[in-house]
Amino acid sequence: MRDDHTVEAEPVLELEHVNLEIPVFSSESRSIGSVFLRTLTGGKLKRDRGHACIDALRDLNVSIKSGERIALIGHNGAGKSTFLRLISGIYQPSSGVLKVHQFVYPMISRSFITSPELSGFQAIKAHYLTIHGNLQGFSVFAQNVIDFCGLGDFIYLPIKGYSQGMAARLLFAMLTGIPHQCLAIDEGFGAGDSRFVEAAQNRLDRFLETAGTLLLASHSDSLLQRFCERGLVFHQGRIVMDADLNEALAFYHSEQFTEISHV
Amino acid sequence: MNQSPSSIPHNHIPDLLKLWQLSQQSPWGQLRFAWHSRRVWWFTATARTKARYVRTKLGNLWLGLTNLLSIAALAAVYGTVFKVENFREYAVYLGVGLVLWNSLSGAIGSAPQLFEQNRDSINNINLPPLFYALEEWAFQLQTFLQSFAMVLLGLTLLQHSLLLNVLVYGLPGILNFAVFLFWLPLLVCLVGARFKDFYQLVPIVLQLVFLLSPILYMKSNLGSMNWITSLNPLYNSFSPLRDSVIHGHPAVHANLIQLISNLIGLYVSLVFLRKERKILPFLV
Repeated sequence: MRDDHTVEAEPVLELEHVNLEIPVFSSESRSIGSVFLRTLTGGKLKRDRGHACIDALRDLNVSIKSGERIALIGHNGAGKSTFLRLISGIYQPSSGVLKVHQFVYPMISRSFITSPELSGFQAIKAHYLTIHGNLQGFSVFAQNVIDFCGLGDFIYLPIKGYSQGMAARLLFAMLTGIPHQCLAIDEGFGAGDSRFVEAAQNRLDRFLETAGTLLLASHSDSLLQRFCERGLVFHQGRIVMDADLNEALAFYHSEQFTEISHV
Repeated sequence: MNQSPSSIPHNHIPDLLKLWQLSQQSPWGQLRFAWHSRRVWWFTATARTKARYVRTKLGNLWLGLTNLLSIAALAAVYGTVFKVENFREYAVYLGVGLVLWNSLSGAIGSAPQLFEQNRDSINNINLPPLFYALEEWAFQLQTFLQSFAMVLLGLTLLQHSLLLNVLVYGLPGILNFAVFLFWLPLLVCLVGARFKDFYQLVPIVLQLVFLLSPILYMKSNLGSMNWITSLNPLYNSFSPLRDSVIHGHPAVHANLIQLISNLIGLYVSLVFLRKERKILPFLV
């Protein structure tokens, strides 16, 4: 199945020898040793022009075709979320070539683009305008989001008064309300309280199915197996395995990977 | 029954990749991004403007009222201290200058924290940082226009020609001032993101510049020290507009110089933004 994509489909993302160095500017961080930083970030510490630098992603060579569904596998700090930020344009590579042929929509954290002083309804409107550039069809979209998140009249109150669960439900309903051609999604992007997670499962399933190309970072094998067919295993900012999902997962759980992790 | 995401109607969706790429390019590309995304940042800024006084009875009228109150108090005190001969003339001079200064200092004063306040979005949403600068600019611009209009209405009681002067001669000055309100705060927030000490300096510098600018006192009172004003870029950003509005002349020369310096400032700030773009998520 993966071979079909690689032969026929157009590339969405092409990375050649891509590196990402993250500068650490705070004085506290400068005094932290390389071992501690490696534990935190999975990268290696070096110093560049007076400030510390973390090699967050190193020598990435990968091509992702349209329609592929990629699982990002790895321990915390291995570079999965950083990779998602890189391909969606939040971060830019320090060196190497990154070619992006399709807009990558990131769903990484629970962030609204609007001020907390504004209402949930205004947040929905701003989100819709960001994607569409106009308000045609907004009322249908807004009603869908309001019905699904279940906030009722709270939708017209400022977001700063929402509980974490309410904000998460609104954001989830909003972001999953519009399908995207290419989606970069982090497992950390949750749907709020457990009751809502159950209610949201079908919607999330449908949403992920509608995405043309999918990059999904998760620690859940079952979630990855449900939606992905190819796996990239990350370790200390490198892709150490690029294979069919089952093969990648088998490698990730193997003794061989455990040995690498302890080096 | 809830609709599934795919059943929601979709009209023409703009090429988001192209829009995003524009924001990464030259200042011209960044300006094109600003134009194409104008509905979003203008909407979020307008919503903020409306939300500010949402629980008050007078709403945005407070913008004008607070300014007029300051003007009345300062004009009464400093008019007495400086023993001004023509109180009406002094009150109008102080009023127009003060509302322009308040708008400018408000925009510059809130600039250093702009990217810090949007830290989560900058690190998790692929909107270019320019978006946040545009939204803040639109917010400050709306605040300025509302305050300016209300103060002018109030001061028209003292000088009837003010409104006509604004309509006939004020537009170039207003446009120049609006552009200045964008690029200088943008530069301040970029420098502030890199050098944290800069945050502490901004209010002190603003206070000093206010005292050195002929706002509370007439420019002619500076006497031989008059040259000081030509070295004061903040004062020069609004003095052509103030002169046009009060004296009813077009201030062509001053507006042209201001326009040229604004174009340079705009270019420099956008180039600086593009240069810092790569490192910005790690600075905030």
